[in-house]
Amino acid sequence: MIKRMVLGLLGLIAAAVVGLLILAYRPAIDPIEPPSATTFSPALVAQGEVLAGAGYCATCHTAKGGAAYAGGYAMKTGFGTIYSTNITPDAATGIGRWSEEAFRRAMRQGVARDGSHLFPAFPYQHFNQVGDDDLKALYAYLMTREPVAAPPREPDIPFPLNRRVLQAGWKLLFFRNDAYGPITGGTPEWNRGAYLAEGLSHCSACHSPRNGLGAEKTGADERYAGAAIDDWYAPPLNAANRAPVAWTKDELFAYLRTGATALHGVAAGPMSPVVHDGLSKLPDADVMAIATYFADRFGAAGERAAPDAALAKVLAASAGGGGPVDHGANLYDAACASCHYNSGPMPLLVRPELGLNSALTAADPSSLIQVILHGVAVDEGLPGAMMPGFAQSLSDTDIAQLASWLRRSRTDQPPWPDLDRQVAVLRTQSESSRSTH
Amino acid sequence: MSQFQLNGRPVSVEAEDDTPLLWAIRDDLKLTGTKFGCGIGFCGACTVHLNGRAIRSCITPVGAVAGQHVTTIEGLQPAGQHPLQKAWVAAQAPQCGYCQPGQIMQAATLLADFPNPTDAQIDAVMAGSLCRCMAYVRIRKAIRLAAAEMRAAAQPATEGARP
Amino acid sequence: MNASIRPDGKDDRLPSPARRRFLIGAVGTGFVMAFADASQILPGTPEQAIAEKVYDPALWFRIDSNGVVTVNVIRAEMGQHVGTALARIVADELEANWADVRIEHVDTDPKWGLMVTGGSWSVWQSFPLLSQAGAAGRIALVEEGAKLLGVAPDACVARDSVVRAGARSISYADIVKRGNLSRSYSAEALKAMPVKPVSERRLIGVDTQAIDIPGKTDGTAVYGIDAHVDGMVYARPKIPPTRNGSKVVSVDDSAAKTVKGYLSCATLDDPSGTVPGWVMVFADSTHAAIKAADRVKVTWQNDDTAGVSERNLLDHAAKLIGDASAGATVVNDAGVDEAFAKAASTLQQDYTTASVLHFQLEPVNATALQKNGIWEIHTGNQWQSLILPTLAKALGVGEDKVVMRTYLLGGGFGRRLNGDYAVPAALASKALGKPVKMICTRADDVRFDSFRSPSLQRLRMGFDAAGKVVAMQHDACAGWPTQVMVPSFMPKGKNDRPYDPFAIAGADHWYNVGAHRVRAISNDLANRAFRPGWLRSVGPGWTNWALECFIDEAAHKQGVDPLTFRLNLLDASGGNAGSAPNAVGGAKRQAAVLRRVAEMAGWGNALPQDTGLGIATSFGQERDMPTWVTCVARVRANRTTGVVKVEKLFLVADAGTIVHPDGALAQMEGAALWGLSMALHEGTQFEDGQVRDTNLNTYTPLRIGDVPDLQIEFVASTEAAVGLGEPATTVVAPAVGNAIFAATGVRLRHIPMRPQALLDALKKPAGPS
Ligand code: FES
Ligand code: FES
Repeated sequence: MIKRMVLGLLGLIAAAVVGLLILAYRPAIDPIEPPSATTFSPALVAQGEVLAGAGYCATCHTAKGGAAYAGGYAMKTGFGTIYSTNITPDAATGIGRWSEEAFRRAMRQGVARDGSHLFPAFPYQHFNQVGDDDLKALYAYLMTREPVAAPPREPDIPFPLNRRVLQAGWKLLFFRNDAYGPITGGTPEWNRGAYLAEGLSHCSACHSPRNGLGAEKTGADERYAGAAIDDWYAPPLNAANRAPVAWTKDELFAYLRTGATALHGVAAGPMSPVVHDGLSKLPDADVMAIATYFADRFGAAGERAAPDAALAKVLAASAGGGGPVDHGANLYDAACASCHYNSGPMPLLVRPELGLNSALTAADPSSLIQVILHGVAVDEGLPGAMMPGFAQSLSDTDIAQLASWLRRSRTDQPPWPDLDRQVAVLRTQSESSRSTH
Repeated sequence: MSQFQLNGRPVSVEAEDDTPLLWAIRDDLKLTGTKFGCGIGFCGACTVHLNGRAIRSCITPVGAVAGQHVTTIEGLQPAGQHPLQKAWVAAQAPQCGYCQPGQIMQAATLLADFPNPTDAQIDAVMAGSLCRCMAYVRIRKAIRLAAAEMRAAAQPATEGARP
Repeated sequence: MNASIRPDGKDDRLPSPARRRFLIGAVGTGFVMAFADASQILPGTPEQAIAEKVYDPALWFRIDSNGVVTVNVIRAEMGQHVGTALARIVADELEANWADVRIEHVDTDPKWGLMVTGGSWSVWQSFPLLSQAGAAGRIALVEEGAKLLGVAPDACVARDSVVRAGARSISYADIVKRGNLSRSYSAEALKAMPVKPVSERRLIGVDTQAIDIPGKTDGTAVYGIDAHVDGMVYARPKIPPTRNGSKVVSVDDSAAKTVKGYLSCATLDDPSGTVPGWVMVFADSTHAAIKAADRVKVTWQNDDTAGVSERNLLDHAAKLIGDASAGATVVNDAGVDEAFAKAASTLQQDYTTASVLHFQLEPVNATALQKNGIWEIHTGNQWQSLILPTLAKALGVGEDKVVMRTYLLGGGFGRRLNGDYAVPAALASKALGKPVKMICTRADDVRFDSFRSPSLQRLRMGFDAAGKVVAMQHDACAGWPTQVMVPSFMPKGKNDRPYDPFAIAGADHWYNVGAHRVRAISNDLANRAFRPGWLRSVGPGWTNWALECFIDEAAHKQGVDPLTFRLNLLDASGGNAGSAPNAVGGAKRQAAVLRRVAEMAGWGNALPQDTGLGIATSFGQERDMPTWVTCVARVRANRTTGVVKVEKLFLVADAGTIVHPDGALAQMEGAALWGLSMALHEGTQFEDGQVRDTNLNTYTPLRIGDVPDLQIEFVASTEAAVGLGEPATTVVAPAVGNAIFAATGVRLRHIPMRPQALLDALKKPAGPS
C-alpha cells in the first residue's frame, strides 16, 4: 500500500514539481514577543478552555506522561509515525512567538508561522470551520498556558513523504475550504451540533474512511462509514452502524457525557479521551447538540431506545452462558462472564453487555481485540471501573476463538475472517508501540 | 511507586507499576488473604474490589489502580462479619479454603448487581471463581443465605470502598 | 497401607500396642496424655518420662489449668476439616466441653511417628487410639475428681468438662489444678479401657461447625504460600523440558539483568536426584522473580523422554498388556485360563483414561532456611515422613537436622503426598546461604505436577451356557506412583512381583465372578517420562471406571438389568463375605447401598427421550478399608452438539460410623464432583515430554455452572469408621458413562468423555462394538 502511494506520489512530483514549488510557497508571518497572560480576559480564556476540550487539543498535543500541550504524541499513519507539536507559548519551541493571525492561518490553512506546511494529521480541514470568535478564545487559552521547552520531534516518515512542501500538493488535491461544512439547515440545536462535530470536534477524522493518500472520503455513503484508527476501529456513525439498539439522541448524550451506557457499552481506546478529556469540558447543551446531530446522521433521531426484539435477543444470548462445546465459550465463562453477564430485560450499566457494543457488531474486530488484549483503564470508559487486559493470559488462538464465539453467539453479523492473524498483528503492534513510549 | 487506598487507608508501594496488584498486596503490603491461583484471570482466587467491584488482582497492574480504592477480604468487614462471611460459616462452605476469599469478594459483587440471585445468575457470575475442592454446592447455599440476610437488613454492605 | 511408610523400608511405626503404655503426667501448667514405649519409661514416673520426651505419642492431647483441651493433629488440613473430626473423637470420650477444645497442627518431629494424610485413612486409623486416649483421660479425671469431692468414683459422672456427684461438682480445670493425675497404664489396661457405648456418644455423629472454617472466610488462614521469614529471597524455578532426564548445558541471564529486583540464578546440585536440571532464579519480590525467570535462558540436554507423548504411553501399555507374562498378579484364582477356555461366551473390552492434573488451587511452593544448624522447611505437605529423608539427603545432613513447619494446604488431592517441591527450595536456600521462598507460577506447577498417569485396561469375562459369570480377568497398565516414590512400599503379587497397591485397588472387587485374575502392570515408559502421582483415589479412579462400565456392558450382553446383574454377583459368599473389624458384612453392604441408591433414583422408571440413568458402585479405596459407595447418574444427551448434561447424581455411602456428618457430606460432595470433572470436563495429554495444558485457558475443570443436583445419603451405621475423602470420585465416571449408554446406546470407553467423542460415536453405524 505504501509502495503504491510512494509511486503515485513520485509521479505526481515528476509532473508538477515546479508548479508545486510555486504553489507551495507561503510567506512567514512575523514573530511577535510572547504576549503576557494578562493581555487576555479571563472570560475569553475560560471560553477557550471549553473549546480546547471540544477539539481534544490536549489529547493529541500531549505525549504519554508528558507536559500538557507540549507535543510529542505519536500518531501512527499509513505513511509512518508523526509527532504532534508543542503548542505551549514557549518562545523557542512552542507557539510563543505566533501572532493570532499566524494561529488563525494554521488552524484554517494548515500552515505554520514560518510558512511551512503542516501534515493533515492536524485536522485544519475541520478547524477551518471554526469561527473567528472561537479561534480568538482558543488562542487566548493556549497563550496563557505554562510555557514548556520541548523541541519538536521529526516524523518517522520516509523520504520523500516527509517533505512538508509536498503537503501543498496534498492540499491541492484534497483540501476544500468547505469540505465538511458549513452545515446548516436544521434546528439551532442541530446546527450547533453540526458546527461542533464537523469543526472543532472533527468527529469524521476518525469515523470516516480515508483514501490512499490519507484524505477523508467524502462520498455520501462514505462519510462516517467507520474507519480503522490507531489500531482500533471507529465504528460507523451513520445508518451502517450495526448496534442492535438504536443510537438515539438520549443514548448518544449519555454516552458522550459519561463514557458509558447500559445499551451501548463503554468508550474505550481513542474514544475514551474524547469523552473524558475533551467533551467533558463542554456544557450539557453542547453535548446534547452533538447528540442531536448524530442521532440524525444515524437515522435514529425519532426512535426511542426502548427494549425491543434485538435487545431481548442479545440478553438471551448473554443469559444463555457458554456451554462446553466451544473453546471460546469456555474462555468466556471463565474469564468474562463474571463481569459481563447480564440477564433480565435490561443490561446493567456496570456490566457492559458485549452483544450491544460496536466493538462486537462492527465490520472490523480491532477494537474488541484491543480491549481483550489491554483492557480498559480506570479513567477510561465507565469512570471508576476497569477491565484488566488479557494479553499475558490468552494466546492469539484463544483470543481469536473468544472473539469469534462472541460474534457468532451475540450478533447476526458474518464471521470475522482471519482473526488469528489480526490478533497477532495487533499484539505485535501494541508491543512495539509500548516499548517506544 | 503507586499510591492508593487499601481497605480505607492510604498506602503506597515501591513496586514497579507493572507489578500485579496481587503481589503488591501480598508481598509489599503483607495482606495474604488474597490468593494466587492461576495468574491469568481464570480462577478468581485473587479477587479484590476496585472501587467496590470485583476484579482479578493478578492481571491488574498496581500502576493502574493509583488513586483508587482497593478492598481485600481483610477489609470487606473489619471483624470478618460481613453477611457473606457469616453465611459462609453457617453453610460450612470452605473446604481447603484457598479459593474462598476470592469467592466471597466475587459474591459481594454478585449480590450488589443481583440482590436476589437466581441459580443462573449465581452460576454465571461465579463461573470465574474456580473451587478445586468443588465446594460449589455450599457456595451456592451460602450466597442464598447471605442474600436473604442482606435483603432483610435492606442496607448496603459495609465496605471500605466507595460504591 | 499398614506397612512401613518410609522409602528406605525402615520401620518407624509406633511401638506395637504390646510395648506401649499410656501416660498421663503433669507438664508445665497442665497435663498431657501420651503413649510411651514401656521399655523406656519403666521404672520412672510419667512426669519423668514426659520431661525426657521418651514418649512416643501418635496422638495426644493436653488439658491446661483453665480446662482448655488441646488436641495435637498430625494430619494435614486440606479441606477435610480433619482436626475437627479427630478432636471430636477425643472430646467425646473425654466428656470434654466442646467449647473448650482446640486443635493444633504440629510440626514434624520423630515423636509423632508416621506423618501422612492420604488414602482417606485419617479418621479410620486414628479412631480406636483416640477413643482409648480420651477414655483414659476421662477415667483419670473422674478418679481424681471423686477424690477431691470425697466420694467414690462410681458415684461420679463426667459431662461437659465437669465431674459431678449428686449436687456436688468439680470442673476439669480444677482437677488439673488440684489433683494428682499422674497415671501410667499398661497395654492391657489400655485395651480394657471402657470406651463408651455408641448410645452414650454425644459429639461423634453430631454436627458441629468445623474449627478451621472461620479463618478461611476472613483471610487469616495461613497457607504455605503465605509463609514469611525475615530476610527471605524470592525464587522461581526454570522447569526443565523433562521431569527426569534433563541436564543444564548453559544459563544466560543477561536479559534478566534489566529486571528491577533480579538478583542472580543458580543451577541446583541435587544429591537426592529429585529435581535434575533445575535452575533457580532469585529476586527481591515474587513479581521480579517471575519476570526475571521468563528472561533467563537455559539450554538443556534432554534424554529420549523429551519425545514421549500420550500415544506412545498408551501404545507401550498395549504392548505390555498383550504380553501375558508381564506384571504382578494381584488376584490369581486357580483355573482362570481353564474357565475362559471352557466358557460358552466371553466379552472383552479396553478402557482408557487421560492424564489428569492435580491443579490444587495453591501452586506448590516452599520456604526454606537454616537456623541454628536446623533446616526449616515451611510448606503444606501430606506426607512429611516420606520427604524428610529425601530432604536430608539433598541437603547432606541427618534427618534430625530437618524440620517441616506445618501450614494449611490450598488443596491436596494427593499432590502434596509427593513433597518433591520442598527439595528445590531447600537446595536454593543452601546455594544462596539465605532463606528462600520458592514460588511456582501455575504453569510451573503444572509442568512439575506428578499428574495422574494415563491408563489402559483390558477386561475380560467368561460366561457359561446358562449365562452365569465363570471367569474374569482385569489387566491395568499405568504409571505407578508408589514404584517411583516409595518402592519399598510395594507388596508382592501372587507371582512374587512387587506392585503398586494404589494403582490397582478396585480391580480386586467384591463381585463373585468365578475364577478371577487381576494383573497390575507398571508402565515403565510413564515412570521414566514423568513422575506419576497419587491423585484423589489413585487407581480406583481408573480401575472402577473400567470395571463398572464393563459390568454394565456384561449385563447388557446377557440381557440382564445392570442393577440386578450386580446384585447377583454381590452375594457375599466365600472371600467376599467380609471380616471384622473393617469389612463386616462384606459384599452384603455393597449390595445394600446399591439397592438404596436405585430406590432413590427411581431405577427402572420411564424417562424422557435421550435421557438415561447409569449406575456404578465401588468399595472406595481398599479392600482392607471398604467404604461402600454407589452412584446413579441421570444424564440428558444432546445428539446435535454431543453435550451431555448431568442432571442429577444420587449417591449412597456406607462408611461405618460417621464422626462429623456435615464434614463427611462435604467430602462426598467434593469427591463426587471431582469424579464428574474427570468424567466430562478435565483431562490433558502428555506431549513431547510435557503436559499439553498448563493453565485454565485450556485446562477446564468443572465450574459452578456444571454442578448438577446432588442427593447424597449415608447409611446409618455403627461399624468401624472408614474413609470418605475419595470413594465418591470412583463411581461417578462409570455411572455417567453407563447413563450415556442408556440415553443414546453409545458406549464411550475413554475419559474424559468429550462432546466430540459422543458425536463421532453417534455418527458411526450401529453394529457390534
Ligand atoms: S490468580 Fe487471579 S484469577 Fe487466578
Ligand atoms: S475450598 Fe479449596 S479450592 Fe475452594
